[in-house]
Amino acid sequence: MSDAGADLAFLGARRLAALVRERKVSPVELTQLYLARIDRHDTRLRSYITVLPDAALETARRAEAAVMRGAALGPLHGVPYAVKDQFDTAGVRTTSGSRLMAEHVPAEDATTIARLTAAGGILLGKLNLTEFALGGTQQFPFGQPRNPWNLEHDPGGSSSGSGIAVAAALCGASLGEDTGGSVRSPASFCGVVGLRPTWSRVSRHGSFPLSWSMDTPGPLGRTVEDAAWLLQVIAGYDPKDSLSSREPVGDYTRTLTGGVRGIRVGIVRELTFAPETDVEVRDAVVEAARTLERLGAVTEEISLRLVPLAGAIFMALADSDGAGVHYRWLRTRAAEYDQGTRRRLLTASLIPAAIQQRAARARALVRAEMREALARHDLFLCPSAHQAAPPIAASRGVITSRHEVAGRFFTRRSYVTPAALAGLPAIAVPCGFTRAGLPIGLQLIGRLFDEATVLRAAYAYERESGWWTRRPPGMD
Amino acid sequence: MSDLTSEQVGALAAALGLPVTPDDLIEVTHRLNALIEALAPLAELPLETVEPVPGLGDPPAS
Repeated sequence: MSDAGADLAFLGARRLAALVRERKVSPVELTQLYLARIDRHDTRLRSYITVLPDAALETARRAEAAVMRGAALGPLHGVPYAVKDQFDTAGVRTTSGSRLMAEHVPAEDATTIARLTAAGGILLGKLNLTEFALGGTQQFPFGQPRNPWNLEHDPGGSSSGSGIAVAAALCGASLGEDTGGSVRSPASFCGVVGLRPTWSRVSRHGSFPLSWSMDTPGPLGRTVEDAAWLLQVIAGYDPKDSLSSREPVGDYTRTLTGGVRGIRVGIVRELTFAPETDVEVRDAVVEAARTLERLGAVTEEISLRLVPLAGAIFMALADSDGAGVHYRWLRTRAAEYDQGTRRRLLTASLIPAAIQQRAARARALVRAEMREALARHDLFLCPSAHQAAPPIAASRGVITSRHEVAGRFFTRRSYVTPAALAGLPAIAVPCGFTRAGLPIGLQLIGRLFDEATVLRAAYAYERESGWWTRRPPGMD
Repeated sequence: MSDLTSEQVGALAAALGLPVTPDDLIEVTHRLNALIEALAPLAELPLETVEPVPGLGDPPAS
């Protein structure tokens, strides 16, 4: 692969769309470029479950013809993208990362896929994930996804392939789904941008469910601009999702460059300065706060005393919902689940109702605490994970004590689940690297339906810091 | 709340028609006890007057 080819692949969706529009690059050329990169790198990375070379090239040829005849072009016209294999694609196998759905071929596109197609995107393929988007998969049925920055490290989940494919430039941008961090965690571990929109901002229709009150499709891109661009395409009311919001969709791309002067940012003490937060992560996040200050934001440390409980509250609620979704298969096809998935769902099936009810009430308190603080602040700032990507081996093996459970499941989730419990928009954006060369993620959380401010602040930080320009080693 | 034993968890799973292998049972017991322990601090919160709703229908931020 030439350096020029890699440079083009790493440009990101927004800039690729502009080049296509200006006839400086053809959709066929772009599609061939990404397919060649998938061939070259994905046998190791395992970000894709299904690649669609013939369909993608056919779509690219039609896109090219439209450019040449001067047709009206959608915002993603000619841009190759990929989606988590949790989203239905008409006529294309959609596995949800599970043997149980290995032969499932939907008849209809998910609403998000239909909107990306209508915007002119070229679907390259379906991306790997932890089984049923749950997390904790021990043996991935379609191959172990690996972090492009270090193949022995976890790429994050559940939208693992969505993070990897963007980080390694195996697509122009991707779509993931975030119930309790599943977009932000892989974005953070893989050093890309991942946005969880406000719950109900994006249609869930055609996405395999985990938790009805938290499931949120969201974009991953090389830059904040890419995430804004994709959100613009997928956001908005959908009659096929009875809970999708009718709140008007803002112009996220137009407001991106507004800067952060006067924006009030609360640095969340319980997450940023928690003893569990790795020192390198803490220092990078504090430095990011200083950068925002230099750009004109007003920062102060704040306390959200309930957020350390968020991980356990989330698991009591989301996993209970998941146990309901899987009620029948758990009783008839239990052996076909991955061991980690099965044990998590079995556990959730046994949570006492009184405890589940208590968690639901506590969620309301977490939400109230966050929203009250957001009356005084425009954004919260904290790490998107308590550490950089851990070794894959660290999350493998049988659990031999209940103390192991807390470390493996509750602690890390407390960084990403507060926004999920409160339904708030949140973004993960690269804010540095560890001495071992692994990306560190900054998280910004905003008010309900105020993705514009989240994106504006993330964009200002990203442009000032420049971390997004780094590429994983050996991926040219 | 005292720890649940594997026997208790196994009996509960059987009553619910859940096929739990002996290996599964050990880990599920650890997981369930860990979750119950992690949620124990919630008992200290003033939850009686809190409605357990997920926040649907909230107005957008002004």
